[in-house]
Amino acid sequence: MIPGKYRSVSGRATNNVNCGLHLVIQTSSLPEKNKVEFKLHKETPSFPGRLLQHDLERNYSSRQGDHINLVSSSMPSFPILQRSSEEKILYSDRLTLERQKLTVCPIIDGEEHLRLLNFQHNFITRIQNISNLQRLIFLDLYDNQIEEISGLSTLRSLRVLLLGKNRIKKISNLENLKSLDVLDLHGNQISKIENVSHLCDLRVLNLARNLLSHVDNLNGLDSLTELNLRHNQITFVRDVDNLPCLQRLFLSFNNISTFESVCCLADSTSLSDITFDGNPIAQESWYKHTILQNMMQLRQLDMKRITEEERRMASVIAKKEEEKKRESQKQSLLKEKKRLTINNVARKWDLQQHRVTSIAANQDRKDSDSPSQDPCQVDGSTISAFPEETGSLDSALSNALQGLSVTDTHLVEVDGDTLSLYGSGALESLDRNWSVQTAGMVTTVSFTFIEFDEIVQVLPKLKIKFPNSLHLKFKETNLVMLQQFNALAQLRRIDQLTIDPQGNPVVSFTLWKYYVLFRLSHFSMQKINGTEVTQNDMIMAERLFGILAHVASSELPQYRLISILGDARKKQFRYLLETKGKKPGVVSEENNDSKRLVGENTNRATLNYTTRDFYNEKLEEIKEKKKFCKMYIEDLVKEATEINMKNEALQKLWPQMFIELVRDAVIEIRNKSSYMKLCLQQITDQK
Amino acid sequence: MATERAGTWLPEAGKLELGSCCGPRMLSPERLALTDYEYLAQRHVLTYMEDAVCQLLENKEDISQYGIARFFTEYFNSVCQGTHILFREFSFIQATPHNRASFLRAFWRCFRTVGKNGDLLTMKEYHCLLQLLCPDFPLELTQKAARIVLMDDAMDCLMSFSDFLFAFQIQFYYSEFLESVAAIYQDLLSGKNPNTVIVPTSSSGQHRQRPALGEASMLEGVEASLFYQCLENLCDRHKYSCPPPALVKEVLSNVQRLTFYGFLVALSKHHGINQALGALPDKGDLMHDPAMDEELERLVVRSRLHRTSRQHRAQEPGTFGFHRRDKLEAPERVPSASAPTPSPYRWEPRE
Repeated sequence: MIPGKYRSVSGRATNNVNCGLHLVIQTSSLPEKNKVEFKLHKETPSFPGRLLQHDLERNYSSRQGDHINLVSSSMPSFPILQRSSEEKILYSDRLTLERQKLTVCPIIDGEEHLRLLNFQHNFITRIQNISNLQRLIFLDLYDNQIEEISGLSTLRSLRVLLLGKNRIKKISNLENLKSLDVLDLHGNQISKIENVSHLCDLRVLNLARNLLSHVDNLNGLDSLTELNLRHNQITFVRDVDNLPCLQRLFLSFNNISTFESVCCLADSTSLSDITFDGNPIAQESWYKHTILQNMMQLRQLDMKRITEEERRMASVIAKKEEEKKRESQKQSLLKEKKRLTINNVARKWDLQQHRVTSIAANQDRKDSDSPSQDPCQVDGSTISAFPEETGSLDSALSNALQGLSVTDTHLVEVDGDTLSLYGSGALESLDRNWSVQTAGMVTTVSFTFIEFDEIVQVLPKLKIKFPNSLHLKFKETNLVMLQQFNALAQLRRIDQLTIDPQGNPVVSFTLWKYYVLFRLSHFSMQKINGTEVTQNDMIMAERLFGILAHVASSELPQYRLISILGDARKKQFRYLLETKGKKPGVVSEENNDSKRLVGENTNRATLNYTTRDFYNEKLEEIKEKKKFCKMYIEDLVKEATEINMKNEALQKLWPQMFIELVRDAVIEIRNKSSYMKLCLQQITDQK
Repeated sequence: MATERAGTWLPEAGKLELGSCCGPRMLSPERLALTDYEYLAQRHVLTYMEDAVCQLLENKEDISQYGIARFFTEYFNSVCQGTHILFREFSFIQATPHNRASFLRAFWRCFRTVGKNGDLLTMKEYHCLLQLLCPDFPLELTQKAARIVLMDDAMDCLMSFSDFLFAFQIQFYYSEFLESVAAIYQDLLSGKNPNTVIVPTSSSGQHRQRPALGEASMLEGVEASLFYQCLENLCDRHKYSCPPPALVKEVLSNVQRLTFYGFLVALSKHHGINQALGALPDKGDLMHDPAMDEELERLVVRSRLHRTSRQHRAQEPGTFGFHRRDKLEAPERVPSASAPTPSPYRWEPRE
């Protein structure tokens, strides 16, 4: 027997001991002489407002003196039942034929007033020969071999029909049993609830241990208060909210795994007692509080009283769940936004690189209906790490809610130890005040869709803000030349370098790895593009490019060395100045850094990289200076050649002049006396 | 001061001129025909003087610390040694023949090891190497050099170091001369020269094909003797450097007809021209630079020590670097110079 049934029976029996119909069915032919007493308490229909309860008590107590004689009738198959008149008087309204090894229903004659008939534990395969018992209220066919419900159409006053433990496959032929109060069909082979919608007085329906896969078709059972569906294979429940009086629902040992499949229960206002034990759902961590939260009217769950405390807990947990759900939704929104943003950045990049394809443009056009320019902040697991961002996160969410079509020009993401930057605008994020914790945690920095030249300019900042970054990743950054790697030498340390071939043509070169190893040898790198760096690689790199470094360091004239190294320092200084205003402390530290670096690998430091823009600027400058120098030298040379010419002319003229001078002198002193006179004259004149 | 400086550096300038064919300064008839200023300009003395002052301006704070006289000494010494072009801008590198030769030599010295390693590289990668020495080296020039080695439709092919280097030498050192030659060649092709009857070919792309020795392709290109006459004429009046006319004659004398690229290939493979240019060693000795090799060995040992002392990576000391090194340690073998290039030559010079 089913425990649930017992419980419901015994729990209420005491209240109704003295009321209603008292039926005692006696069996006489069995050795133990069991007397089965049924008490059927029935609410009269004139008290409709009262709570209807099915009370059934089965009392197996031994009694003596019941005699029933089954006599073979003249008809070949059916035995005819006869009772002694004495017995008839004593138990005029009941008849018990329990454990009589009956294979068919006997013909019961002259017992038209019978109200209770018991055929428990026989081998009856078909309900027959009782259509004349029109006053029958209680019919018990428990534990027989009945395969089909039939032969009941005349029993209009039947209120209790017990067909448990039979072989019934289908609920049928109950059309006339309009006053049916209790219907027990447990332990059969029913796979579907059907043909019950007219049973508007039915209070108890037991369908335990059947083959039901789901529950529905419950319309019309307006008085149903107890529904037992234990031990089926039910995966979902519907229509329960159409049962206005349902109080107890037993769904133990079924196959219910989600709350959604039984969510109609939440809409039932009358339900106060429910069981789910033995279902997958009962194993879930959220089971209890979800049920409690959704079914406020419940008083018992799985046979246990629900306390106020439990209810409160449930509501707290449910609130948390709700929050979690919102959070995850938020996350997925942000994820989607991130995807769109990356798409957008990629498209912009492609446009910039003049290699946009029409397919990509079409595909993305619908995403970019309302492009907005404000930057988006997506933060993975470290929201708490930068408090100044939490405020804007909500606004980012509301943005996202307004429409996922919002697209941005760049994206900054911190996920664990990885800082990912998409789009050149993302580089500005390095100016932000990152919390020490976040900054310290970041060991991997990845650049996507950013010109390498732009990255070079923020490297000094990167070095300061994320001192622990050991792994740099570049993808779609236009790395085209070996010399660009020179720029990375200014960082504090790099353990790993990953250059994605996508958008970085330099990776197609045979020598690029060796050049990186050579130029960044002071970092003692561990991995390049995921491949471990070996001693051989280092030696190879040195062999290939060692001479270059040697030539660069030993053969450059001193002034060039100084100017190149100075340039590198100045350049860093300038990047810093340009982007973040003057901060003398940082700058001096910077200078120290580069000096230390120079000491570390002097012969390599001359190999540095200047971004295109800076280089062009420098060339402009040089041009100006050249122009000036040209003029200056021209003037100097002209002056010099002029002087030289004059000098040469003088040299040519001088011998002749000298001769002429001598000749003049000789002629003058040729006449000695006149010359003497002249001299004397000059002397006297002076006086 | 100015006079003195100009005078002081004059002999220096005379020495600087590479491949100079004039005699002592004062006795040269050319010298007498020019004004002083023109002479200085023609000998590129002015270029170096301007550049020196420019460099001085550029780094005046640093230089003033160790003396202007010292700076000028160093500057002109480095000009003599050919190290003044390292990491300089392209406009300066191509400014004088001496600078070009110095650059060629520097390129050879710095990246000889790449060739020695036997790696075949693409045009773009060679360009990157050039840019390591001269950041704004134009791609166009590298492309032109590669076109001498490779067919037009095979520009992505790999080239051996020596092939590229000699082609690059011709293209870079004689680039203005070659432009004029190209113009003359086109004129000859289209029959503009009155002395010739040339069957004009419709598209210039075809001329770049290799002229086979068979009769079928006899009509490709231009007639060698006529071409030489034009070139001789050009050499006479050309103010930029040209290859010695005698050598050009030698190149052209033993073929009947040739194409423009055939001519360039022949020039690039000619020992005499290489010698006249004086920047690079002979092809056979291209991988040979014992002084540098010695230096490199020292560097490698040092870097190995450096690395092993810094890193405590567990690696058996005996095994590293062997499979590649034993190849390197036989400098006489010269792997890439004799290695066959994947690209077909258009024109085989005589041995």
